[in-house]
Amino acid sequence: MAREVEVLSRRARVARVLLSTYAMLIYVFLFAPIVLLVLFSFNANRYGTFPITGWTLTWYRQAFTDYQVHDAVSTTLKVALQVTLISTVVGTAAAFPLVRSTLRFRSGIRIFFILPIMIPGLLIGVSLLVLFTSTFHWKLSPETAVIGQAVYTTPFVILLVAARLQAFDRSLERAAADLGANNFQTLRRVVMPLIFPAVIAGALFAFTLSLDEFIITYFLIGGHNTLPIFIYTQVKFGITPEVNAVASMLLAASLLILGLAFALPVVVRAVRRAVLRARTA
Amino acid sequence: MSASAETAEQPQAVRAHRRGAGIASYGGFIPAIVLFGLFFLVPLAIIVCYSFWETIDYSVVHHWTLDNYRYFFSVSAYVTTMWSTLWVAIVATAIAIGLAFPFAYWLSRYVPQWLRLPLLVLVIVPFWTSYLLRVYSWLTILGEKGVLNRFLQWAGITHHPLGVFLYDRPAVILVLIYLYFPFGALTLYSSIERFDWNQLRAAMDLGASPLKAIFRILVPQIMPGIVTAVIFVFIPILGEYLTPQIVGGTGGVMIGNLIVNFFQAAEYTRGAAVSLLIALFIVGLLALFRKSLSTADAYGA
Repeated sequence: MAREVEVLSRRARVARVLLSTYAMLIYVFLFAPIVLLVLFSFNANRYGTFPITGWTLTWYRQAFTDYQVHDAVSTTLKVALQVTLISTVVGTAAAFPLVRSTLRFRSGIRIFFILPIMIPGLLIGVSLLVLFTSTFHWKLSPETAVIGQAVYTTPFVILLVAARLQAFDRSLERAAADLGANNFQTLRRVVMPLIFPAVIAGALFAFTLSLDEFIITYFLIGGHNTLPIFIYTQVKFGITPEVNAVASMLLAASLLILGLAFALPVVVRAVRRAVLRARTA
Repeated sequence: MSASAETAEQPQAVRAHRRGAGIASYGGFIPAIVLFGLFFLVPLAIIVCYSFWETIDYSVVHHWTLDNYRYFFSVSAYVTTMWSTLWVAIVATAIAIGLAFPFAYWLSRYVPQWLRLPLLVLVIVPFWTSYLLRVYSWLTILGEKGVLNRFLQWAGITHHPLGVFLYDRPAVILVLIYLYFPFGALTLYSSIERFDWNQLRAAMDLGASPLKAIFRILVPQIMPGIVTAVIFVFIPILGEYLTPQIVGGTGGVMIGNLIVNFFQAAEYTRGAAVSLLIALFIVGLLALFRKSLSTADAYGA
């Protein structure tokens, strides 16, 4: 009996070692392409590949002085800011009734709101292309791309804020009302501060999604370039270390903003707790 | 007098307050309904109409016909592309989920609690970085001057760079697996995590081999999670454009590339028909698996 247990545990140990090795390989698989991309952006070798012939910032310098990159960066930021503004306001507004109203067709509305991220972005792109050019006769511009991206980013904001509202203790609002606050005061002084971290996270999320969005933008932006579109047009001529440098910077920006999105709610909560403790002490 | 006026006013105020609350509670929908209605539903409706209309001399004529669909199914290259898209999606999904299962199993069984979340976040991180860059980065590995060829030359396995790694269907499948693995791992993990491991131990105490215990006890219980993972990997692959475009070459063409080609050639009605075929197929799948999807929040980061 004792031997049986031992055999079993040895087998479990073997399984653990095998699976851990496997998991490590998976992480290598997931990160190798990205790590190599960044590595080659610092490589003196101008083919953007091995061997590493020395370390340099030349490609970054080149990217910084390239007017096409400048153009793409400013368009990307302009588009991303507008998309963030629209999807945060629209998404937050929609999250409230989605969680709180007692409509009978609420789950239908929920599916309707989430559909834009279930349907391939390609279809959003082409269908808006037809709407804008054939039906409205609009000229394609960064603004048409903003609309397309907002359709795709808003559902994410709705999901994030709705999740926060779901966990919200509604007796706090009743308490505020009992203490004489009107609807607006309750919203501003009680509800908004509590869901604010989720709203900010949603905004940062929308911003990153917009920075990286390719397919919808590709169809709707007309003659302009965002960074992903610029990278795509360059890829046609082969990989260059300069594109690697631009790509690495875009990557760093996304990671930074995402890190903020995840860290901010935690920080806000910690600060609030510290303030409360200071006040009660 | 003033007191009675006050009491008379009270219910009215309450009613007004309630009505205000009603508007406040539904009013939030209005911007979203405008956004999604005008810029999501209306364009889709237009696509539906276009797919049944005709293009004559580069202009769309409102004349109802099935010609666009007939045309699509009459060109054998298109039909082949449709089947190969399905095939690529099935193979990539199967491998991605197959790779994700042992990983999720490892994460929820062998990793201490405090380490699980960081390791899970690490899987999702690439997923939230630029989609274009993740496809693009494979060029630096699979290309003629890529890492793989450099390695093979260095190891003396080949003297000339090999072009076989890129621009064909296997490259497309590889990159798709890479792109969608995190989706599969995340979904599978969240359902394996809830599994009671005592059941597995009990099965093995009763004489089942570990593999048998996994497939007879664990797998049936997490079936809804597996279905969700499969759907969430399979569906976006159907609409892929960029991966076959960048690494696929002529052998890796998928239906998304066809759609783009039609629209770029201003053949809107034909492109609309193909778009509608994909959209209907996807909505059909979603409706079919609605039950198992509703319990899972695959986007919950």
